[in-house]
Amino acid sequence: MGSIELTAVQKSFGDVEVIRPLNLDIEDGEFVVFVGPSGCGKSTLLRLIAGLEDTTAGSISIDGQDATDLPPGKRGLAMVFQSYALYPHMTVRKNIAFPMRMAKIPRQEQAKRIAAAADVLNLTDYLDRRPGQLSGGQRQRVAIGRAIVREPSAFLFDEPLSNLDAALRVGMRLEISELHKRLQTTMIYVTHDQVEAMTMADKIVVLNEGVIEQVGSPLELYRSPRNLFVASFIGSPMMNIIEGEMADSHQASAIGVRPEHLSLSTDSGLWQGKVGVAEHLGSDTFFHVQVEGLPKPLTVRAPGDVELQYQDTVFVTPEKTNLHRFDSSGLRID
Amino acid sequence: MIDRSPEFRVKKGLGVTMMLLLLLFAAIPTLWALLLSVRAPDSIFEPIWESPLALTLDNFFKITRSDFPSALMNSFITAGSSTLLAMLVGVPAGFALAKSRVSGKFVASWILLLLRMAPPVGFVIPLFLAYVNAGLIDTYTGLIFAYMTLTLPLIVWSMWNSFAQVPDELIEAAIMDGASLAKAFLLVALPAARPGAVAAAILGFLVAWNDFFYALIITRSGTTTAPVAVMNFISYDSVDWASIAVASIALTLPILPLMAIANRYIVQSLSGAVKG
Repeated sequence: MGSIELTAVQKSFGDVEVIRPLNLDIEDGEFVVFVGPSGCGKSTLLRLIAGLEDTTAGSISIDGQDATDLPPGKRGLAMVFQSYALYPHMTVRKNIAFPMRMAKIPRQEQAKRIAAAADVLNLTDYLDRRPGQLSGGQRQRVAIGRAIVREPSAFLFDEPLSNLDAALRVGMRLEISELHKRLQTTMIYVTHDQVEAMTMADKIVVLNEGVIEQVGSPLELYRSPRNLFVASFIGSPMMNIIEGEMADSHQASAIGVRPEHLSLSTDSGLWQGKVGVAEHLGSDTFFHVQVEGLPKPLTVRAPGDVELQYQDTVFVTPEKTNLHRFDSSGLRID
Repeated sequence: MIDRSPEFRVKKGLGVTMMLLLLLFAAIPTLWALLLSVRAPDSIFEPIWESPLALTLDNFFKITRSDFPSALMNSFITAGSSTLLAMLVGVPAGFALAKSRVSGKFVASWILLLLRMAPPVGFVIPLFLAYVNAGLIDTYTGLIFAYMTLTLPLIVWSMWNSFAQVPDELIEAAIMDGASLAKAFLLVALPAARPGAVAAAILGFLVAWNDFFYALIITRSGTTTAPVAVMNFISYDSVDWASIAVASIALTLPILPLMAIANRYIVQSLSGAVKG
């Protein structure tokens, strides 16, 4: 079990309100990602759930029990920290055993769980090493091992991959996703990387300045962002946002269109522009096209074999069905 | 990159020479004391080349029959106990100052610095009067508490720094893992700050071990410490140079292994041993 319910949870540090009163339901077994720019309050929200910070107002319940005033160790949650937070003076085995030692689990059972976790995480050969002798990826796995053996009702991850290099990050991303599939335990995962959010989450919570902007599945967020912030935060490369006359003609104060929903032609189209920088990814090429009358170039996705030269004249046409319209307060118009 | 230019070699040679000269300069008093300690007391001021082989170990046997060994023991007892007590109080205090979110830390740091830097002579008169009234003159308790006024600020201050280097996440991880704050401190934070703790204990011990001033004021015959006992070899009619030399060597010897250990741990604690 691992359902978590936040009701009117609010957090201030002194006069600064970091989390405005918010409600959030996390269901048992869900993989929930908190995503947002730095300082949006996502880590604070996670720490509130963990109990490492006290709520200023509101309540947190875990599995239907009020946990607002429970100490962190009694909430049945396990946390993986950004810095891994491995105990440097203990071997891998002792690191993993630590939470069980605190819970006074019998030694035999401890050994069994350590062996099982080490097996799953490919750490069997490293059990007698110290954290200082391990690579970044291995340390990450030890931190996960330490969390698994507690058999928590939910896992909390605080930007666990941001200290790893790019290749390792993709690998660990998959490992964590697989772990979730196997364990079916609730996971809450904090990241500023929207790619991680999109690829891993069942449910994404987009946070900005202490406010939840939108909650939904990755594709819901991608297909129908509730406001301009979500529209421009989710998706890579970013959605093109167009304001002014071109938006007016669609009865909106801003329109948004994703790079893959713009078609490129050399003969005819809605908007005329000049090719700027081209980013070749092999399978796709992203062209930055400076359309007349727009302050910023549009990003357009084209197949990798399309060849255009710098400053070529092109025409860009948006797909009507995939045009997002926003009103003057930035909210979506359906 | 290794610089092999002649210019660099000359500079390096000069640097090494300077270092050796400074080392010699610093070592001369100790070497001299060593030399004095093995010479016969009656010929101690004759030039060494007149009788270079007239060396003796009598001075060492003689001093074992004096009050000096018991003074050395007093030094061990008082310096050791005050360090132990100051560690028991100072290490948790350093942890609290480094990791708690209380206000007033700035004031605390200011007071600690003041205590560390103020000359002992500023405290000794009120301390003496209080001790006379409390009957603590010439007692181990009195001297141990006096030494704690020296060692405690030093230990709190350096443990504060050591614990500040232990990442908060490490302690939070322990607390998430179900440890109480006390267990997080004992099982995680303290081992992580161990190099700093060893260095602090040794520095604290040395401050008390080397103290002359408090011992002179507070002790009488019963609890005389070794530095004061050295002075007792100076009497009205004569100065027992050979015994002074032996005593100063006996005072220095216990420090050598401590300095070797401290050196290692101070370097470790400065280079952030917690990483990893």
